[in-house]
Amino acid sequence: MAFPNVRLSNRPLHFIYLCDCSGSMAAQGKMQALNQAIRQSLPGMAEVARQNPEARVLVRAVRFADQAAWHLAEPTPVQQLQWRDLEAGGITAMGEALNLVAEVLQSPPMEERALPPVLVLISDGQPTDDFDAGLARLMRLPWAQKAVRLAIAMGHDADLEVLQQFIGPEPSGAGKSPRRPLQASNATTLAQYIQWASTAVVGAASMPASRVTPAPAADRPNPSDSVGNIPLPDLPPTLLDPSVDVGPLVW
Amino acid sequence: MSHPWLPGQAYSVIGAAHRRQGKPCQDASLCSQLQVGDALLQLLVVADGHGGHRYGLSDAGSAIACAQAEQAVRELSELHPLTDRGTWLELLRHTLPSRIHTGWLAAIEGDWQQRPEAEREPFTPLSYGCTLGLVLLAPQWWGCSGIGDWDLTAVAADGSAQLLSEELGASGSSEATGSLCQPWPEQAWAGRAQLQPLNNGSPRALVLSTDGVRKSCATDADYLNLCSALIELSGAELADGLEQITSEGSGDDVSVAIALAVGAAPPAQGRAGRPRRWLLGGVLGLALASAAGLAGWRWLQPPDPLAQLISELCQQPQRIRPTLLQRRSQFAALVKQPSMAVHLQAQASTDPLGALIAGANSRSGLSCRALQLGLQQQWQQARAAARPANAKMPATAPSSP
Repeated sequence: MAFPNVRLSNRPLHFIYLCDCSGSMAAQGKMQALNQAIRQSLPGMAEVARQNPEARVLVRAVRFADQAAWHLAEPTPVQQLQWRDLEAGGITAMGEALNLVAEVLQSPPMEERALPPVLVLISDGQPTDDFDAGLARLMRLPWAQKAVRLAIAMGHDADLEVLQQFIGPEPSGAGKSPRRPLQASNATTLAQYIQWASTAVVGAASMPASRVTPAPAADRPNPSDSVGNIPLPDLPPTLLDPSVDVGPLVW
Repeated sequence: MSHPWLPGQAYSVIGAAHRRQGKPCQDASLCSQLQVGDALLQLLVVADGHGGHRYGLSDAGSAIACAQAEQAVRELSELHPLTDRGTWLELLRHTLPSRIHTGWLAAIEGDWQQRPEAEREPFTPLSYGCTLGLVLLAPQWWGCSGIGDWDLTAVAADGSAQLLSEELGASGSSEATGSLCQPWPEQAWAGRAQLQPLNNGSPRALVLSTDGVRKSCATDADYLNLCSALIELSGAELADGLEQITSEGSGDDVSVAIALAVGAAPPAQGRAGRPRRWLLGGVLGLALASAAGLAGWRWLQPPDPLAQLISELCQQPQRIRPTLLQRRSQFAALVKQPSMAVHLQAQASTDPLGALIAGANSRSGLSCRALQLGLQQQWQQARAAARPANAKMPATAPSSP
């Protein structure tokens, strides 16, 4: 049986990488590790997409160095994605990257029924352009506000404050949380975080349970609590727990 | 007293994703007829449990919500004559929500006390969180109320559909919703309450649905087309249709409750998905039109949906603002992208409200002062919202759509 003139549709889930490709990423194999981590995560991401047919996982990527540009401009079904290596060189136009993402998170081109998108910002340094303006423009958009925003800091030079601003208010209490920048200090940890974002987070975002509209921030005991649109899954165990500074520090 | 509504139907179907994950259906729905004096009052209810980890008993919460709604309506109908429309509008806004909310809280706490986990965990209404939408169908009016992201759509005689009520601020993408488990959110209920007298312009059918139905459609236009198609189905066909909606769409649980006006042909087996055309209905159409009197005869003349909408709004100016407020995002989108207006105007048959908004000025000849003012106010608000603080208007903002 079919409904004529009705397009029933699963819901697009836009997953966007924002990748720092500044010159410092060339050092100590960071760029190579990032390319490898993303490439290795794709089969797992495709499997999660297969298990959640109600979501249509579409991947894009922005690279930023002297300028920001789409590395993967077309929303590409994860099953068809072939990762082209990013190359390092230049400074860190992170604010411009946020502007680029803001352009595609407007409606249109965002579909009315899309699932909250997943944005993953990966950086090893500090923005060299107007990050605040880029973030402000991005966060004016309802789709950006609803998005699952994650940040991965590669090495100890990453600007954690800036990455936290991208994610949103810092959660209360100490310890590891996906609502804090994830600190990857070696290739293995980076791969674990990328794998987590592209599988566990995509799985959670693919079939979000509805939830009660949160009370205004002023009425919440801790305004940073429960503001995310998607309950985030637990972080993976990693070689380097950011709350316990041990492990093979490489970067 | 004759009743202008055929017996309604309500169905809930477990979502494809929930079935795969071994979760229960967290939706519930109900359709019942209450005898009020010599008249019938029909009640349609849909409820949608939130389903996340924090709302682990929301399947019970939604079933209890439906039962409480029926009980509250039954009690109020024994106290207030259906002919008193003003009183019933107030009941829909305040008293009925309050009774449902109070009754639901007591009932879920009672349910909790029967559960083994009550010995080790404190009771919290969050566990039972759900939405609730209801429609009352009386001999001389219909009304609705509720809380959360349910949708109510009217299907006109020509098959065109119009969204009558949706959760404000919902864009079809947010997973956040108002809920019965929140501390008494009176404003949320009152904002969804309305009561409309029956007249020649009244809808042929009303479709009440949980959010899983709308989120399974690519666009709102598809959702409206779907509502037009759903009213042609009954029984197993309707259940099959809901299965198709969830499996090809959102994967969420789906519920609909449908009311058909007398004079609208009842659903017939084997007609699934075929739009009913009164003009092609031959003898059957003429016979039914005759039975339905003048209203039925009028349905034989397919009206211009846009002209009909304008006429309805001008006759009931109190509906203008809430109707336009439902489309705030459309006003905002048109300010940013005026070229969308052409597309919207081309879809006037399926979305007359969108066409009205997109072509407001060109329709001024058909309009009334109240509607023009209402449109003007919404445009001003949309432009003001689009204007950056302390900055000039964006260059693309139109002076009119």
